[in-house]
Amino acid sequence: MATTTAAVTLTSDLLSDAMSVNASTTCMKAGTTADGLDQLEYAVVEIPTGDEYDLICSTPTASKASKLYVKNHAIDETYFVAITQNAQAIGRLYGGDWMFIPADFHDAAGDIAITSNGGTNKIEYALFHEGTALTTT
Amino acid sequence: MATTTATITLSSADLLSDELALTTTSTLTQTGTGTGIEHTTGLAMKTITSTAKGTTSGQVVLYTADDFAAIPYLYVKNLATTAGHKIFIYDDTTSGDPLQFQLDAGDFGFIPMHGDKTYAAYASNNPTKMEFMVLGKDQ
Repeated sequence: MATTTAAVTLTSDLLSDAMSVNASTTCMKAGTTADGLDQLEYAVVEIPTGDEYDLICSTPTASKASKLYVKNHAIDETYFVAITQNAQAIGRLYGGDWMFIPADFHDAAGDIAITSNGGTNKIEYALFHEGTALTTT
Repeated sequence: MATTTATITLSSADLLSDELALTTTSTLTQTGTGTGIEHTTGLAMKTITSTAKGTTSGQVVLYTADDFAAIPYLYVKNLATTAGHKIFIYDDTTSGDPLQFQLDAGDFGFIPMHGDKTYAAYASNNPTKMEFMVLGKDQ
């Protein structure tokens, strides 16, 4: 099995004492601690203003685990991409921001799309998953 | 000005034919500016006892709509250690309460939220512990 690890560190001097929050997880298939996610879609795309782009164009198999990482490489801090799931707003990534979401993108309701605002946004994304329902041509 | 950073590292020695080692750091700023965020809810640990969406009792509200100015950042982690003990996070503002994130045991998420939706969580098992924190600009 493949072993993929995701780790996050949050640091800040917002509080009277230094804050440091660390978390790490091994990306596993659904419902197991013995078998890691073994498939990956990894890409970089440039999205002109106003265009909507489907980040997940194939459909991961039903009831399987998925982890999605997205980063906006825009340098201009006013540029952003809006991220939706099944047309419902999840959030926005301004220049330099990233997100990491564990989800179950198993059907049309799991569709993830992004819309570029302010200018052309360069987006890097990685979808770790355990299988997709391929579309027959 | 406070400086708050979020760093993620994605790594694997055997997923690809060569090593995957991706690290990126973001400095959390107020929307459209270079000014750092100013507020946080602090890190909270709570126990979910509800196993169904929409049953208020036993659910945990992670964020209340418009509590922070856009964009608030949400960190959340499922503290369960048994595989399959999932936490389900849904949008409690939008009609139909659409499910948005699923965290299996040990999973974490980091989400720059839109800010105008209330997020609540239920779990597959009672009880399930979670920790979470919101960072941003209170309003």
